[in-house]
Amino acid sequence: METKPLGGKQIEVDEDGFIQDPGAWDEAVAKDLAVTEGVNDMSENHWKVVNYLRNYYLEFQMAPMIRKLCKETGFKLKEIYDMFPSGPAKGACKVAGLPKPTGCV
Amino acid sequence: MDLITVTRKPGGEFAIRVRGHEVICDVSAKEGGRDAGPTPVELLAGALGACVAVMSQRYCGTHGYKDGEVAVSLTVEMADNPKRVGGVVIDLEVPRDVPESRMEAIRRVADLCPVHATLRNPPRVDFDIVLSDN
Repeated sequence: METKPLGGKQIEVDEDGFIQDPGAWDEAVAKDLAVTEGVNDMSENHWKVVNYLRNYYLEFQMAPMIRKLCKETGFKLKEIYDMFPSGPAKGACKVAGLPKPTGCV
Repeated sequence: MDLITVTRKPGGEFAIRVRGHEVICDVSAKEGGRDAGPTPVELLAGALGACVAVMSQRYCGTHGYKDGEVAVSLTVEMADNPKRVGGVVIDLEVPRDVPESRMEAIRRVADLCPVHATLRNPPRVDFDIVLSDN
């Protein structure tokens, strides 16, 4: 498994760049992950999505369904994609430090 | 319905042809393609979105709702074992002058579009395997 410098630490990531240990995540790691997804400036709205995903994952050990993400954050699907061009699964979940989702977002 | 053909192009991508139209379909480099067009799953989702858009536009046009455009944004949630589309999330935008009282009617129209109806009632898929004559 490859390791990458993220947030000033060496962190293990899978072949798509998802961090393997959700416990290694912090805001500095998120900012560096965001850059890998083409998001150079994390706005308040980006953090709203990321924090929702992260809190949901910590509570349920899975990513939420996309419709739930939209409803709970108040963003339309298109707005999520505008913020995270690679989408809620490949983009937002990666920045939030979640494992690569399969069935949900 | 007219014959739809899917043939491989020199670059490795596939051309879907029907009635003189051509749509290119490919997969990512990671999956052995070169990303020359939407993937089959994206085309499936796009067909659903287009069908919802066409039917909704027809409804809005018939009822004179013209303050804005019908547009669809959608994405798919993949599922495993077997790998497939597990869910589709659709945002349907309608003209601003559509009253709240008509939203349910538009939802019904979108629900009844032929592609959505097909996904709700999976068709029989009957195929045969034959040797190439090319």
